[in-house]
Amino acid sequence: VQEKTASIEKAVGLIRDGDVVALQNMATQAAPMALVREMIRQQKRGIGLVVLVGGIAVDWLAAAGVIDRLIGAAVSMEQFGLCQQYRAAVEAGRVRVEELSESLLNARLGAGARQLPFLPSRGAIGTDLIAQNPDNLRMMDDPFGGRAVVACRALVPDVALVHAHRADRFGNIQYEPTAMWPDLAVMPYAARRVLVTAEEIVDSEILRRHPERTVLPGFMVDAVVEVPYGAHPMSFFPAYGYDERFHLAWTEVSCDGDRAADFVERRLRAPRSQPEYLEAAGGEQMLARIRAPQSTGG
Amino acid sequence: MSGRSDDMPVDYTVDELMVTALAAHFQDGDQACNGMASFIPVAAFMLARMTHAPELIWIASSVGLEPRPKRIPASTLEAALWSDSVMYIDQYTDFWNLVLNGRWITKFCVGAAQIDCHGNVNNSVIGDDYHRPTVRLPGTAGLADLCSIGKELYYWHPDHSRRSFVERVDFISGAGYLEGGDARVRLGLGSGPQAVVSNLAVMDFHPVNRRMRLKSVHPGVTAEEVRAATGFELLLPEGALPETAPPTRRQLQLIREVIDPDGLRRSGFRIRGAS
Repeated sequence: VQEKTASIEKAVGLIRDGDVVALQNMATQAAPMALVREMIRQQKRGIGLVVLVGGIAVDWLAAAGVIDRLIGAAVSMEQFGLCQQYRAAVEAGRVRVEELSESLLNARLGAGARQLPFLPSRGAIGTDLIAQNPDNLRMMDDPFGGRAVVACRALVPDVALVHAHRADRFGNIQYEPTAMWPDLAVMPYAARRVLVTAEEIVDSEILRRHPERTVLPGFMVDAVVEVPYGAHPMSFFPAYGYDERFHLAWTEVSCDGDRAADFVERRLRAPRSQPEYLEAAGGEQMLARIRAPQSTGG
Repeated sequence: MSGRSDDMPVDYTVDELMVTALAAHFQDGDQACNGMASFIPVAAFMLARMTHAPELIWIASSVGLEPRPKRIPASTLEAALWSDSVMYIDQYTDFWNLVLNGRWITKFCVGAAQIDCHGNVNNSVIGDDYHRPTVRLPGTAGLADLCSIGKELYYWHPDHSRRSFVERVDFISGAGYLEGGDARVRLGLGSGPQAVVSNLAVMDFHPVNRRMRLKSVHPGVTAEEVRAATGFELLLPEGALPETAPPTRRQLQLIREVIDPDGLRRSGFRIRGAS
């Protein structure tokens, strides 16, 4: 069986400029942030980002000039507010948005996963999302005589980026019981390549103790990288909560282009490794804070 | 507990009134879920379950079925809200299998930047040019779906103003009654907007032309004030205009001491008199 372990540089090296990259993400949850930072470090350009609900990662990628289009249902850091660098980039025309509802995005990715031309949905009928997007969404009659549906054209991302609780070196990916945002059941299956970071890489024998928790088969995965706290500053239940201070440090500067660029340079690009990045973000004290029960619902 | 102390007038704030006014629309057997930054709806669901509707079914963050959170945490999308659930709806497709079936998740609370006279909502863009908007808003998320699939929709808005209550939204991110009348029905969309709870009043929709209509004003607010803060001609009800029922002492105690001691329900409010 082929081994899939790789360095983060090599894994992200599989992403080419101009690729469509699907990112696991909710507002403050579960994104593979080490992969995001490495995309910024490698100065990827012209990336089209697919995201169900984007958060701070989208803001950073916009600030660093990595993305020029976004396909997704929402971008928000919830209680930390709008993503201001992303917002400025869209309002200036530097990032083009294809806004979909969650069911329409799931349908587009679902069609991609099953190699169908499209999948129908009944979501979003009556909204302006459909007329706005004739390339990918069309109302169509039900061939069996029922109500019209929205045909959602297949979306096949070049790469899917995922963070997991553990993996073995063959790329089998395991999750602790929790919310698997934004749906590991569809997004990675639609993509041509799947890059994974995991909190830990363990012996396959450990995965065999709980095969019901294995959510992606290794043969689908192109590269797996061990990155402890790889979702920081996002939450990754049940392991840790989001880092409130890091989010606030970003929103403090994110309205100002120069200060945002400085943050990207010093906090995201300069640290040469995950331990160095975490140390600059507050080290063990910060990690103890995000592991605390009130952060993880425990 | 004697009913009498519950009837005595008590001091409350408008966020607390919005919670109780919204909670009154949720009953035993209803099924509800919440998305992000939904402190008022979450407080309303928790209050309803502790008082008049113990069998209101709630999927916290659209993940945790029947949770028992200790209190409302700083995010309505994080694990602390769905602690002690009986089930995780862990894959997002499973959640959409429920939502896209008109039989399940019967009611949904909608927060939006703009609401128009027919209950259409906008969370996408402000301005005429979709690709060069004046303001890029967060986006529709699941709202567009929930609005089109026969759910009863309850809107909440903490800042009733001409900026937010507009004749026609700049972009329809969630379908209300569209152009009004039977436009929604003609498109095959069931149910739809039922009520709007703002910081000034409670509104509903005229059963025939489907225009927004004043239903009750909050104590201390006049109909003229609400109409002046609304960017379209707000219909008045036939007959007397009632006042929104104020929170009871017991409701206030639960909201303040049990459900939301950190006051997260106040986020998003513009305090009158403050700049």
